[in-house]
Amino acid sequence: MDWIQTLLIPIVYSTILVVILLTGFAYLSYVERKLVARFTMRFGPNRAGPFGLLQPLADALKMMFKEELSPKNADLPVYLLAPFLAISTAVIGWAVFPFASRGFSVLGYSVPPVLADVNIGLLYVAAVTSIGSYAVVLAGWSSNNKYSLLGALRAGAQMVSYELPLGLTLVAVILVVGSMNMTEIIQYQLDHTWLIVLQPFAAIIFFIAGLAESNRSPFDLPETENELVSGYITEYGGIRFAAFFMGEYIHMITFGAIISILFLGGWSGPGADAVPFLGLVYFILKIALMIFMMIWVRASVPRVRYDQLMRFCWKFLMPLALLNLVVTAIVIAL
Amino acid sequence: MTDLTYDKLKANFPDAVLGKETFRDETTITVDAAQLLKVSKFLRDDPELRFNLLLDVYGVDRRDLGASPRFATSYELYSIPHNRRVRIEAPLADPAENGKKDTLPAIDSVTGVWGTANWLERETYDLMGIEFKGHPWLHRILLPQNWVGHPLRKDYPIGGEPVNFTADRDNPRFAHLGKQIMDTPTFHSELEDMDAEGHLVVNMGPQHPATHGVLRLAVELDGERVISCKPEVGYLHSGFEKTGESKRYEKFIPYCDRLDYVSTMSNNLAYVLAVEKLMDVDVPKHAQYARVILVELQRIASHMVWLGTHAMDVSGTIHALLMYAFYWREQILDIFEMVCGARMTTSYFSVGGLRWALPGAFEDSVRHFLKGFPEVIKDFETMLTDNPVWRTRLEGVGVLTAEQAIDLGVTGPLLRAAGTGFDLRKAQPYSSYDEFDFDIPTATEADSYARYKVRMAELWQSMRIIEQGLAKLGKGPHRTADRKVALPPREEISTSMEALIHHFKLVTEGYKPPVGRLYGIAENPKGILGFGIISDGTANPYRLRVRGPSFVNLQATDLMARQGLLSDIVTVVGSIDIVLGEVDR
Repeated sequence: MDWIQTLLIPIVYSTILVVILLTGFAYLSYVERKLVARFTMRFGPNRAGPFGLLQPLADALKMMFKEELSPKNADLPVYLLAPFLAISTAVIGWAVFPFASRGFSVLGYSVPPVLADVNIGLLYVAAVTSIGSYAVVLAGWSSNNKYSLLGALRAGAQMVSYELPLGLTLVAVILVVGSMNMTEIIQYQLDHTWLIVLQPFAAIIFFIAGLAESNRSPFDLPETENELVSGYITEYGGIRFAAFFMGEYIHMITFGAIISILFLGGWSGPGADAVPFLGLVYFILKIALMIFMMIWVRASVPRVRYDQLMRFCWKFLMPLALLNLVVTAIVIAL
Repeated sequence: MTDLTYDKLKANFPDAVLGKETFRDETTITVDAAQLLKVSKFLRDDPELRFNLLLDVYGVDRRDLGASPRFATSYELYSIPHNRRVRIEAPLADPAENGKKDTLPAIDSVTGVWGTANWLERETYDLMGIEFKGHPWLHRILLPQNWVGHPLRKDYPIGGEPVNFTADRDNPRFAHLGKQIMDTPTFHSELEDMDAEGHLVVNMGPQHPATHGVLRLAVELDGERVISCKPEVGYLHSGFEKTGESKRYEKFIPYCDRLDYVSTMSNNLAYVLAVEKLMDVDVPKHAQYARVILVELQRIASHMVWLGTHAMDVSGTIHALLMYAFYWREQILDIFEMVCGARMTTSYFSVGGLRWALPGAFEDSVRHFLKGFPEVIKDFETMLTDNPVWRTRLEGVGVLTAEQAIDLGVTGPLLRAAGTGFDLRKAQPYSSYDEFDFDIPTATEADSYARYKVRMAELWQSMRIIEQGLAKLGKGPHRTADRKVALPPREEISTSMEALIHHFKLVTEGYKPPVGRLYGIAENPKGILGFGIISDGTANPYRLRVRGPSFVNLQATDLMARQGLLSDIVTVVGSIDIVLGEVDR
């Protein structure tokens, strides 16, 4: 019964993962609204269900029953494809994230702690998350709207630019660890110490570039509601709009997961070796912390201007990331 | 009394100056329309006169005043260097009287002398039907392009008439709507100036998150760079001036609340001061101090709205500062509610004083506010003043030099941020402002950040004024004892026949000011608010002119946004601090 091990378990595994991520998205939107409300002296959603906990459900229902409108001269296939590209690229990165120290077995079949323990895990994540920018560019291009187009132009330039410092910090991490495998990166941190201590600059650059990469404030220029109405999602409504939202939030979770694995030791923590479930809890807590920081930044930092964003990337982040890489390389070579 | 302006004009243009009239210390010099341009240039450039600020241009239809010729355009001039005012009036004959039915009375445009005349003349053309020769773009500004007639003329009916649009009236599709058909939205009237082929033309508004209401900006973009940015206004036009002509003086006060609806007290004060000057009423000191306190509170409240929305524009819709700023504005609105029952549409000042006496808890609640607020300003300043992102977004954005600002008639914090310490509260103090000790914050950079700093500094100055006002306030009558304008107290009516008669007369007829005209100005949070009143001796103003500072300041958007980036437009619009109610009136 080898097919159960090679086929069924991964399928069930990933289905559970997708369901969790999609619910996670819904409640992340609730958490964000609630948190931002508290930051700004409001209450946030508190009508639907106890503490407004049913709000995401209500939102989802509302979105689903909305009429699907599309602009007259939109490039329809691309226009329809873009939102789902946004979600799927954000989700598939999760295949390589280890959740705990070891898996467990069900009826004699082993369930691994990571769906695909590939040795180019980091490269894989960097590759699939950057496809996400295509979703934005395609959406903006296909909706035949000036605001969307401007948003897409910004998104294209911004995401391509921020890939570079992001990639350079990853290289620094790879240099230190000597592997691109996620499990080994965590193992290295278990043996030594968290990489945020060894690579503080890389961690900070990664966080900033990641904000830009996942279109979060203060770098959410592709949608800047104050100038571009909603940027690339201006012409999307109903469930397609929700799909973009999902993509953005899952991207946030993914980004939180990457930064926890790379710099905060992933699932590691006291007792996580002995009790694998505890590792999962630590992992989620670390992701939650990163997400909290992203929301906090959103509520308190003004948005930068497009040209300043690019200047910041090319004239500050890039040299810093390069310098960090060179210093890391020299230290390791010695 | 010698009048330098008149004497100099008379000496230089003996045949252009037709007459002079002085009423309540305000001089009106009548000038021959044909020579207006020469006279204007002289008034602006003569070193002894230097009337560099054109406050207002408005037309008067003198049909029922018994004056001839029928029309006149008035120019309110202010000389900032010499702190002097004058009004130039140019009478215009109506060509329609000579059988030329479709010809409008025409006069030279002064746009070349004072840039601000651009929109003001368009408005005069729109509402009064006076043509300005040599105007760069003489189109309707507040009303739709295909509107029929000029509403401020005395022969234009008021009330109950069908809305006249030329388009669609005969279209059977709209038969069920009768004659009240609004036209389809017009393409931006100034788009013809724009290169819609080579550049990207984006229409920001009237439904757009960053335009603070129904403002429409046609933006010509080259990539992200702004080639030109033309505001189109008038979506909220509600004919205040025409309405004012059919209301008694006192009854226009609630309308002032709807002008700049985030600084109602200031609007009330400006209007009430103008009428008081017209009626020559003295206001008791207690009421004057109370007015100053309330107006300064209103200034803080208005600046809170500006700060919150500006931070939101620059950041994102959920930037925390919006709610923080509005929270403290709420505290002020609570005080207003306690004082007069209304939070936004206060109408608390009446001609001759305050409508009601201040409530007993007034001073305590203001003190309570003053105790908490300084900490809050410090919070805001730590959040923004040295925030690198905030600074890079604002510094060097929307530069408007003092020269440009004065040319465009821009007043208020925008002018002060360009280094000109021009504040009417100091220059021509009203309502006992001369008894208060305060500074005029200025900055020299003339960019959005300078305006931010100036407004933040004004908060401190306003608090200083309020503190002094509280110390001075004391007890006293809250309203003038002049029974010709203020209602007698209730107790007096049951004992005094005379009081009863006054009460009856005031309620049934209102007061009747003497024949004359004046132009009252006051320093609002957003700039100079002006009310021009022409009285024909009846209980209604013959002509009521409103100069909204937002309207005039908004004209500078194009100049300030040019060559910036798209994102800078929202910074610029936010830092001008407009309220559309006042822009469109």
